[in-house]
Amino acid sequence: MPSSPLELIRNFCIIAHIDHGKSTLADRLLERTGTVAMRDMQDQLLDTLDLERERGITIKAQAVRLDYIAASGRTYQLNLIDTPGHVDFAYEVSRSLAACEGALLVVDASQGIEAQTLANVYAALEADLEVIPVINKIDLPAADPELVRQEIEDVIGLPGDGAILASARQGLGIDEILEAVVARVPQPSGEVDGPLQALIFDSKYDAYRGVIVYVRVVHGVIRQGQRVRMMATAKEFVVDEVGVFRPRPTSMRTLSPGEVGYVVASIKDVRDSKVGDTVTDADNIAGQPLPGYRTVVPMVFAGIFPINSEDVQDLKEALSKLNLNDASLVYEPESSVALGFGFRCGFLGLLHMEIVQERLEREFDLELLTTAPTVEYRVRLRTGEMVAVDNPAMLPDPATVDAIEEPRTRATIFVPKEYVGPLMELCQDRRGELLDMQYQPGDRVALVYDLPLGEIIHDFYDQLKSRSRGYASLDYEITGFRAEKLVKLDILVGGQRVDALSMIVHRDKASLQGRKLAERLRKLIPRQLFEVPIQAAIGGKIVARETVSAMRKDVLAKCYGGDITRKRKLLEKQKEGKKRMKRVGNVEIPQEAFMAVLKLDE
Amino acid sequence: MVLATAGKHSATHAVAAVYIHIPFCERKCEYCDFVSVAGAKGQHQYVASLRAELRALGAALDGSVIDTVFCGGGTPGLLDLRLMGELMDEVRASFTLGADPEITLEINPSSSSEQRAHAWRAAGFNRVSVGVQSTHGDVLGFLGRVHDAGRALAAIAEVRAAGFANVSGDLIYAVPGLDDKRWEESLHRLVDAGPDHISCYELTVEAGTPLHRAVAAGRARVVDADSALRQHHIAVHSLESAGYEHYEVSNFARRGMRCAHNLVYWRNNHYAAAGVGAHGHLPASLAPAFALQPPPGALSFRYQHGRAIEAYVAGVARSPLTVRNLEWVDATMRAEESIMLGLRLREGVRLEGTGMAAEARALVAGGFLEVLGMQARATPRGEDVLNQLAVRLAAHCT
Repeated sequence: MPSSPLELIRNFCIIAHIDHGKSTLADRLLERTGTVAMRDMQDQLLDTLDLERERGITIKAQAVRLDYIAASGRTYQLNLIDTPGHVDFAYEVSRSLAACEGALLVVDASQGIEAQTLANVYAALEADLEVIPVINKIDLPAADPELVRQEIEDVIGLPGDGAILASARQGLGIDEILEAVVARVPQPSGEVDGPLQALIFDSKYDAYRGVIVYVRVVHGVIRQGQRVRMMATAKEFVVDEVGVFRPRPTSMRTLSPGEVGYVVASIKDVRDSKVGDTVTDADNIAGQPLPGYRTVVPMVFAGIFPINSEDVQDLKEALSKLNLNDASLVYEPESSVALGFGFRCGFLGLLHMEIVQERLEREFDLELLTTAPTVEYRVRLRTGEMVAVDNPAMLPDPATVDAIEEPRTRATIFVPKEYVGPLMELCQDRRGELLDMQYQPGDRVALVYDLPLGEIIHDFYDQLKSRSRGYASLDYEITGFRAEKLVKLDILVGGQRVDALSMIVHRDKASLQGRKLAERLRKLIPRQLFEVPIQAAIGGKIVARETVSAMRKDVLAKCYGGDITRKRKLLEKQKEGKKRMKRVGNVEIPQEAFMAVLKLDE
Repeated sequence: MVLATAGKHSATHAVAAVYIHIPFCERKCEYCDFVSVAGAKGQHQYVASLRAELRALGAALDGSVIDTVFCGGGTPGLLDLRLMGELMDEVRASFTLGADPEITLEINPSSSSEQRAHAWRAAGFNRVSVGVQSTHGDVLGFLGRVHDAGRALAAIAEVRAAGFANVSGDLIYAVPGLDDKRWEESLHRLVDAGPDHISCYELTVEAGTPLHRAVAAGRARVVDADSALRQHHIAVHSLESAGYEHYEVSNFARRGMRCAHNLVYWRNNHYAAAGVGAHGHLPASLAPAFALQPPPGALSFRYQHGRAIEAYVAGVARSPLTVRNLEWVDATMRAEESIMLGLRLREGVRLEGTGMAAEARALVAGGFLEVLGMQARATPRGEDVLNQLAVRLAAHCT
């Protein structure tokens, strides 16, 4: 199939809150354009991983080409680019948006605009995308499209009468949406004769084909047999195949300016095709890479340990397999006195961490214990040497430490004004410094704080949500490191220090944190044969003590009639329960206890 | 004279115990989850099937010397006396009994009389276990028992008068409404009636019982664990003071009067079982007689007959040695079961392996276990948390 001229190409994405109907709308668009026949429709085709489907979030962007015969009679090439929707993946979102000229903003007609959607809408507007509001689910009894129209105008500042009324479920408004994409989304621009510049907005590892690179061609042409260079890594590859998804992979002769598709080039490692990098012709190298490339570095660290210590090799293999597809995951061996051998892993954020943990457990059938997440601290020693510490247990002896620096963020919170008070209180508690406060249309407020990243990763998001009844949204970027009065809080269980429970906290909050953590652990550690003292200590000083009293009774009164099998099964159940715990000295500690630090404010 | 060490002189593969289940009852008790039916309808047919099964078991066990026979239920004492006589004749004809076997009959006070007791003696029983359960009318009412408090203790006197030299009485504690004072009173009343053996069981709510439904519906409440434990301690103290040896978690006996049949269970030995819902445990060497092929590593097998009487009768008619709910026991499982069961006994259990010995040392240090050589037994504190000790020690079974 020949490439389309620029005027017949439209590249767009869909921005929506979870449950507002993004996947259903995507399905209808595919169906209406004949990209996929009704009988082949598997609900919500765009989300490929089961996990994504269950959580209602999209982790990896994908792109589908639709051929649309418009009312004018002309056939357009529409490229629908799927975007992730979580703050952990803000950079990936920005690169997907950079591949588009327009965005459909889907808003539920009965729910209105949700806080989470805002960050992505602002990102789209910042990227100069044409945003077309779609008021979805107008068939529902509670739908109030006019109110939502007003809200779109007040909150986002887009003309409300430009919003399209739709019901993706019932197929209403689909034609209007497609016509609006053609009429309102600007056509891409680009020079076909210039040196190749193609933006990588995603990549995936495939066991048979190697890395599948998702690109948006900006200038030049990419074709089979071409020798290409990744500008950030300077690695070169020969293109085996280019193609598009409709939605099955379909190979093409070339991809031209404005077009979106995939490239296969015998790339063995996803790290060689970094999101945001520019693909160019190795024999005709572009003068400049496309703007916006950033090296993604892990922000959140945690230890992952197998529940059964024999599984450590399996865990290693699982991590390396996962890493093929997820270049942002980093890991190295870790050994803990309490937990044995495992891996210290670095993640983009908390959601990324949860996803990795779930995938390891689900796809590789591993039983894992994850320690509480932490950030990376920079420790300046008295010798002048600087060391990075991503594991509180490894903090050098305080006597040798000159200063400890923690990562800081510029955090932006959008919230309806009635919740400003509780949220400012939360930020205050978390050592935030208010940088700016702006009133937005629709009674919304933008709070901008300088917040320690270490505070954000400890239950901040859940607190933000619960104190704003779900309306607040959060976006943050790392701004740098700053020296603070930080100390290590140690936890002793049964008189033994449990390294995996150590945390780095601000000195002024350390005693309170210690008390809360000890109390929380008392509730989480089940009664045992022995009384279990739990202590929190800073340096050598005990700042809190709690006790789990000894178990009083656990005995089967009756054991007669010869039914031994049933009695044994009861004990086997107890044994299974114990297996899910880690024994530290004489104490069985359940998995949740190692995450206890995350829920101190409950 | 009952051999207190009945299990010990049996070789590993020997079968020295037979259990016979009689499901008939006057009415079903609120808490009972054993196989039982109200009324005696079909008892002729049932006993005929039992006899067929016993005959086949006897042939399969050819050469084994049987030291204990236990006729449990249900209410075996309710069985027609002529049928009972025939059943016991069958036991003697089918099995080779030891020189001084323990042959126990479970009875309920409501269907006991001196006259019936004479007939049970004549049938060949030498031990009677009386379901006293309580000496308080309201408690008996709550439990759904048919007899009253006076009848409960009278039954013991009746079987004594008929010449039974080995009599046991059961009591239940942790019953709503039974406070500590009245519980202690129950124990004293039973001791005064002079049984040789006493079992004290905590009331447990088993799924599928009327009591379970009552608790679920909020019509009855359960006694909290601390109170139940306190009443257990009261029983231990009272009965030890009265000269009974606390030889198993819930069982107490005068010197030499321990229940040899139940010791077979607790020492993890083998036993043949006949009748609906009965549980058996037999060596793998007997599998061919049951048309079973033991998997590699199997040492023995456990089975439970189905719970429906008609299906049992029909099954025996097709093939007298049919087993259901089969489970093979390998060395590890046997070792785990031995720990779980043996810890219940005052005589204790043998530890196997250095891992288990190390675990035992930690438990000794905590005051939960006493160890002499490789023999371990729970201390009174350890007995309160016996499941925990069992799980910890059994984790080292290989």
